[in-house]
Amino acid sequence: MDKMNNTYFPDNKYYEAQPTWYLIDAKNKNVGRIATAIARILIGKNKSSYTPYINTKNHVIITNSKYVIMSSGDEKIYFRNSRRPGGLKKESFNQLKLRLPNRIIEHAVKGMLPKNRLGRILFNNLKVYSGDYHPHSAQTPIEYKLDKIK
Amino acid sequence: MTRVKRGNVAIKRRKKILRLAKGYRGSHSKLFRIANQQVMKALKYAYTGRKLKKRNFRSLWIIRINAALRQKKLKYNSFISMLKKQNIGLNRKVISQLAVIDNETFDWLIEKVKK
Repeated sequence: MDKMNNTYFPDNKYYEAQPTWYLIDAKNKNVGRIATAIARILIGKNKSSYTPYINTKNHVIITNSKYVIMSSGDEKIYFRNSRRPGGLKKESFNQLKLRLPNRIIEHAVKGMLPKNRLGRILFNNLKVYSGDYHPHSAQTPIEYKLDKIK
Repeated sequence: MTRVKRGNVAIKRRKKILRLAKGYRGSHSKLFRIANQQVMKALKYAYTGRKLKKRNFRSLWIIRINAALRQKKLKYNSFISMLKKQNIGLNRKVISQLAVIDNETFDWLIEKVKK
């Protein structure tokens, strides 16, 4: 009887024994749209036992990150600064896609995760690969479909 | 005026506060004047915390219900409107607990609501 009356909170180590791996193909998908879905999975909001302070051990594998799309591809600029005078570096989406395609999705998802200790740990559960191959077949990832629910 | 000694009135008032300050670090649990400030802060946080607790739990229940519904291709907003139309008075706490503990009843509820 008390089980229903007191809100369920899993153990801190509840998810250690059962991490779930998801596989998402980023080919011809819009960056922002997949990034929101990824962040939602990493935070654990697709599981009904979601708890805000626990790492739900949802791992996400992204493949084909070099084929990802942004409609304003040449206008989107990525900035970084070396903290020295005149050290502001700019790179457009298309240029960064040629140089380091994984960084585009990582940058987008990092901005959507919570900016705290747990958020930084969750980011480590994201694995991005530029091609079709990923070395995590031993974790038997589940294919995740990015459908919208009407 | 007859002579009045102050007795232990002040001590009792201060001990009352110091009892609430048990476990605080350093002189915050030993010296009245400092402990008084910390106890005032603590009581203020307890007051606002009681109100925040209600908000936070409701938000947690809503997130959990949404997560469970989206696995069944439903959304929280449409689910709640269907509940209201059918006059089902279950609150979010109960529904979220069903989603976590009693999956069969949760599925039954969804079927009942979809009609």
